[in-house]
Amino acid sequence: MKRILLGTLFAAVSINAMAEAPGGPNCGWGNLLFEGQRGTPAHFLASTTNGTSGNATFGMTSGTNGCSTKAALTYGGKSWLAMNGTMNELSEDMAQGQGEALTTYAVVLGVKPEDRAHFASVTHDHFQQIFSSANVTAEDVHNNTIAVLKKDPQLAKYATEA
Amino acid sequence: MLKRFAYLTLCACAPAYAAPSLDDARVQQLAADRYWIALGHYETAKLGGWRSYVDDDKFFLAEDGAHHPDRELRATVDALYAPANLGDKHAQCVFPARTRWLREQLQLSDLPTPDCQEYSRWYADVAPHSAVLIFPAAYLNSPSSMFGHTLLRIDKADTRSNDTTLLSYAINFGAYIEGSDNSILYAWKGLMGGYPGLFAMMPYQEKLSEYRSLENRDLWEYQLDLTPEETGRMVEHVWELKQVQFDYFFFDENCSYRLLELLQVARPGLDLTSQFPLTAIPTDTVKAVKQSGLVSDVRYRPSRERELLARAEPLDHHEKQQVLAVSADTAQLQSPEFTALPRERQALVQDAAYRLERYRATGQERDPEQARRSFELLRAINRNPPPPLQIERPGLPEDGHQSRTWQLGVGTREDRAFAEYGLRMAYHDLNDNAYGFPLGAQIEILQLKLRQYEGNDWQVQRLDLATIRSLTPRNELLKPWSWQVAGGLERVPGKHDDEVLVSHVNGGGGGTWQLADGLLGFALGTVRVEHHNDFAEFISPAAGFNGGLLWRNGLGNMTLEAKGDYFTNGEVRRSLSLNQQWEISQNLGLRLSAKREFSHLATAQNEVMLELKWYQY
Repeated sequence: MKRILLGTLFAAVSINAMAEAPGGPNCGWGNLLFEGQRGTPAHFLASTTNGTSGNATFGMTSGTNGCSTKAALTYGGKSWLAMNGTMNELSEDMAQGQGEALTTYAVVLGVKPEDRAHFASVTHDHFQQIFSSANVTAEDVHNNTIAVLKKDPQLAKYATEA
Repeated sequence: MLKRFAYLTLCACAPAYAAPSLDDARVQQLAADRYWIALGHYETAKLGGWRSYVDDDKFFLAEDGAHHPDRELRATVDALYAPANLGDKHAQCVFPARTRWLREQLQLSDLPTPDCQEYSRWYADVAPHSAVLIFPAAYLNSPSSMFGHTLLRIDKADTRSNDTTLLSYAINFGAYIEGSDNSILYAWKGLMGGYPGLFAMMPYQEKLSEYRSLENRDLWEYQLDLTPEETGRMVEHVWELKQVQFDYFFFDENCSYRLLELLQVARPGLDLTSQFPLTAIPTDTVKAVKQSGLVSDVRYRPSRERELLARAEPLDHHEKQQVLAVSADTAQLQSPEFTALPRERQALVQDAAYRLERYRATGQERDPEQARRSFELLRAINRNPPPPLQIERPGLPEDGHQSRTWQLGVGTREDRAFAEYGLRMAYHDLNDNAYGFPLGAQIEILQLKLRQYEGNDWQVQRLDLATIRSLTPRNELLKPWSWQVAGGLERVPGKHDDEVLVSHVNGGGGGTWQLADGLLGFALGTVRVEHHNDFAEFISPAAGFNGGLLWRNGLGNMTLEAKGDYFTNGEVRRSLSLNQQWEISQNLGLRLSAKREFSHLATAQNEVMLELKWYQY
């Protein structure tokens, strides 16, 4: 899993003449922390009839949102971290040092079960480095995480394996 | 259409593979098989024969496949033998579930082997291993959510051991809304089947944030006891339904019904859909799934709002004031009032303040100043983390009372005895058996009550189209409004001490307060328009009040209410009423009602009634 995420990241870095966030312009890597979640205008009614508004997606194959669908860890081309709402949950979990989003992040990065508790505690200790400001993007958070992992002897292997 | 011709032409000119010649009896037998019927979403048509719920040409290979399961089957077998170089467009790639079943039933060992790239990649990405039925529970301040919704989550093999449900996919069936219809049109078309229904697959995480944050609904996750093979079969079939349009009706052919059909595809022996001849209400479908023994485990996820309230619950008044102060201005984290608190209380206050901040931001555009405050609070939480939240699981929604209710009452009005017979199609009122329902929420749809007075004197007592009340308590941190709307026919005092049947619409808004544990007090201002035969004008408007108490006691729920309507024509109508429910069992209740009505048109009237309520299904 992780291999492919980093693979795409690096692929994008190596061709960054395109000056696009990995996965395409609309894939959310530029999403800021606390990006608003908006309801549809007719949300009250939409929820009444359980409507799907806009583009009815169908997992990764829809590929109609302008995202590359090649990377794993993607849903319809979005990286998990860049998905709406993920950064908020992850920031909360990391600040507290535990939680589902933090566990998922470890899994997504390929951290083995025996290292996950350590991952949680290291990222908790370095929360302010990883979430360095209120305006971090998903991409910043990912890069900062890798930087933190590199400095930890036990976790460094997850930052270099690509 | 084009695709169908493509198959035909290709079959005609490239007979490299020959479809087996099927004898008619075998085709008829297979086409009548429940599994084939399920794969085609057929139902018996009203005039005999079959019709499919699918309203989409591309789902059928035979010209009249929507009405002829047998012709569709024959066309499918032919298409399975189309040349392999069709690739992703090959029937085997488009209809993997049909392919598997027909291959097994007819021992088709000589099928061409097209390379289904799209499908294989999609299937590998979903990696189905087990399935979970998801039920977002009702949200008090949006009683229409009481009807709920159900969706499915598909987990991978390691989802549970890794605790990574956030990476799972959700399968959702809903009305598909294109363009920008206005709200009224939307509601109408949604109810009347004006929108097509479509399956969609999206990250479960998106659904989680939609329900838990945006709508503040608790989520119930029912782990289904399906094998990996059964789950795979279901997911295969979901692929066949990609972008395929169904008829969608809010009340019956809705999300829940479609999901039950999917479960029947997963496990062919199941019969779930036939239990819902008229309406499929999501809680009822959860019940049906549970009764069929499919549920192996239940997990509860509280909404964001409930988490906030649970975090704030142990705080005293002073601490709650600190929550408000800190969330308004994070500089307060350095104030002497805050730093004077013990460190573990600071942790709770900070966390509550953060949650309140995020709660307020829900549904809003990102505000840089608010983001900065939230981030400051996160840093404070990081320095001094609170203990994990422990939230007690509320009553299981599927163990709440059934939704259709029969009512049999006996009582007296002044000196006349009567019997009353009632039927309510759905769902719950403030006094009904409370287990599994939020206190203070009411939604009733279509209720008819007939009354038989002494001397076999029958009358329509009331016909409610809809009665919705939402009494959500206000507290120091959250200040929701309470509201109610109702409309229909009802009896009110008229001239000569008659009861006059009037048509009316009314509504109100106000506040509700938690006075003690299990005791709510509410006060609402109301407006009403009424057509009353004793009034000179055709339509009479009124303004008034509605207030009272709702008390959860050992027997059941009790309400004590006062109401007043002051009409512009001078009529003043007031009433005092008391209702006490005695919860006998899950689906049986006894209610004592007493009421005194005052009107300028008549003398004050007393009414007492004892009513048996049977929540049937």
